[in-house]
Amino acid sequence: MYNKIIPSKKWTLPNGKVVEEKRSKTPFIFFVLIVATWFSVQLTNFDMQTIISEARQFWIIFADMIPPTWSYLPEVWQPLMDTIKMSLLGSIIGSIVAIPVAYLASSNIVLFKPIVVLTKVFLSILRTLPTLVSALIATLIFGLGTFAGTVAIFLFTVSYVGKLLYEQIEDADMKPFEAMESIGMTRRQAFRYAIFPQVLPNFLSTSLFCFEGNVRYAAILGYVGAGGIGLLLDENIGWRDYTNVGMILFMLILTVYIIETISEHFRKKLI
Amino acid sequence: MIEFNDVEKIYPGNVKALQHIHLTIDKGEFVAVIGLSGAGKSTLIRCINRMHDITSGQLFVDDVEVSHLRGKEIRKFRQKIGMIFQSYNLVTRTTALKNVLVSFVPQLSFWRKMLGLFSKEHKIKALTALDQVGIVDKAYVRVDQLSGGQQQRVALARTLAQYPDILLADEPIASLDPVTSAQVMDDFQRINRDMNISVIMNIHHVEMALDYADRIIGVRDGEIVYDGKSEDVTQEVLDHIYKGNVEELRETYEGEQAHVQ
Ligand SMILES: Nc1ncnc2c1ncn2[C@@H]1O[C@H](COP(=O)(O)OP(=O)(O)OP(=O)(O)O)[C@@H](O)[C@H]1O
Ligand SMILES: [Mg+2]
Repeated sequence: MYNKIIPSKKWTLPNGKVVEEKRSKTPFIFFVLIVATWFSVQLTNFDMQTIISEARQFWIIFADMIPPTWSYLPEVWQPLMDTIKMSLLGSIIGSIVAIPVAYLASSNIVLFKPIVVLTKVFLSILRTLPTLVSALIATLIFGLGTFAGTVAIFLFTVSYVGKLLYEQIEDADMKPFEAMESIGMTRRQAFRYAIFPQVLPNFLSTSLFCFEGNVRYAAILGYVGAGGIGLLLDENIGWRDYTNVGMILFMLILTVYIIETISEHFRKKLI
Repeated sequence: MIEFNDVEKIYPGNVKALQHIHLTIDKGEFVAVIGLSGAGKSTLIRCINRMHDITSGQLFVDDVEVSHLRGKEIRKFRQKIGMIFQSYNLVTRTTALKNVLVSFVPQLSFWRKMLGLFSKEHKIKALTALDQVGIVDKAYVRVDQLSGGQQQRVALARTLAQYPDILLADEPIASLDPVTSAQVMDDFQRINRDMNISVIMNIHHVEMALDYADRIIGVRDGEIVYDGKSEDVTQEVLDHIYKGNVEELRETYEGEQAHVQ
């Protein structure tokens, strides 16, 4: 359409041949981006002045956190471990469950369209649900505590890994699949032996990446009572005990950093 | 024995791919199917192992009516028919050996399938198959590190491990250079003669077809327009198969010559 409105450039070669060059869409896209930014600034009452004037407040609180109460560590330890356990367990089970779900969502593997469409819709609904909200719902069903948090992380992992996995499956090379069918395998077996090896490295990498993010999500789930370090953070901010907050944040940053470094190391090996 | 009795195949959208096909292929024959692109060669081959369903007529393989098979029977039936493809259709991320081992998957127990475990006996059979096509030394090399000819041999080993009665090949040498092509064709010939496996091969390379096959089947617009011994194929026969389309024929030849240089 774009190329109909804006005529393409014509080059005439010495021998009289005319070659058409389609106009680039970049200037147009750039323009749309600027307009969109301007509108969002208007809509959200974004004000640069506030940011600058209130930044001072941030530094004051930050200064209050230093030095952190090192002696608070024993109390931080247990909730921190809970947070890691929650995200680890939720990520592992979620990634495993994502495999059959992604299978059902792949239009090149499952030929019965309604199943594919339903699974895809289910995954998008699951993905639009913020983890905090699913955690809140989980606490209403399973009660307060880490189990609710694990469920929330699990659901998010299924939706995230599931989506990326089915996209990978739909992009996979179907030729070996055809060969497996010609050998006498069922479609499920052909998937297992022809498609799964193709998507496995990427699946593991996605799962690890999701786990990294989940540690951060898990840290705030305590706010809705879904266990972990978030509860402690909430309490201490409430009491304005900023040196304790400092200690919690320090441990959290350290943990996230270590996990990300390890995960990144393995992800690089996978690709 | 393969028997086509007035077989017709119409694809969705009323594309007539095969019409009035009458054909009998005996055990142990080496048949080459030639014809222009879109003539229906791939369709013909794929009906034999029921990768495609025929729309009318009858097709028997060893006195079994193929279109009467259901679900599990189809898969059982396919295990006796090997298939070779132009683009090898291997899982490139894994080793040659693992690619051959997959032919035992239909015989595995559920847990072995899930975990991808194969028995010692299967491994020996797979290595033997690789040895039969002369690339047992590449057994533990990843397929994407093998040349096209080597990959096609892995694909051959994969079907040999099935102990097939029939070998269907859809343009197996189309992506290979002339020297490698000849080697792969030699493999086919050896398999055909030594193991008495019927070979039905789609092939664009007419000279190769005449050199290696005992019998030529010419397909044009979904119909068989020639069926006879390779020795009897003359230039007129080829013109007839290729619709008197000399232009097209010359282009193929020139293309092949360019390939040699
Ligand atoms: N899945 C399909 N759906 C619809 N039409 C198809 C399908 N596969 C093939 N056809 C059509 O059927 C006819 C025969 O195709 P086929 O692939 O058998 O030809 P071919 O002789 O193998 O050609 P080539 O030498 O290019 O491989 C063609 O007109 C093709 O467009
Ligand atoms: Mg074809």
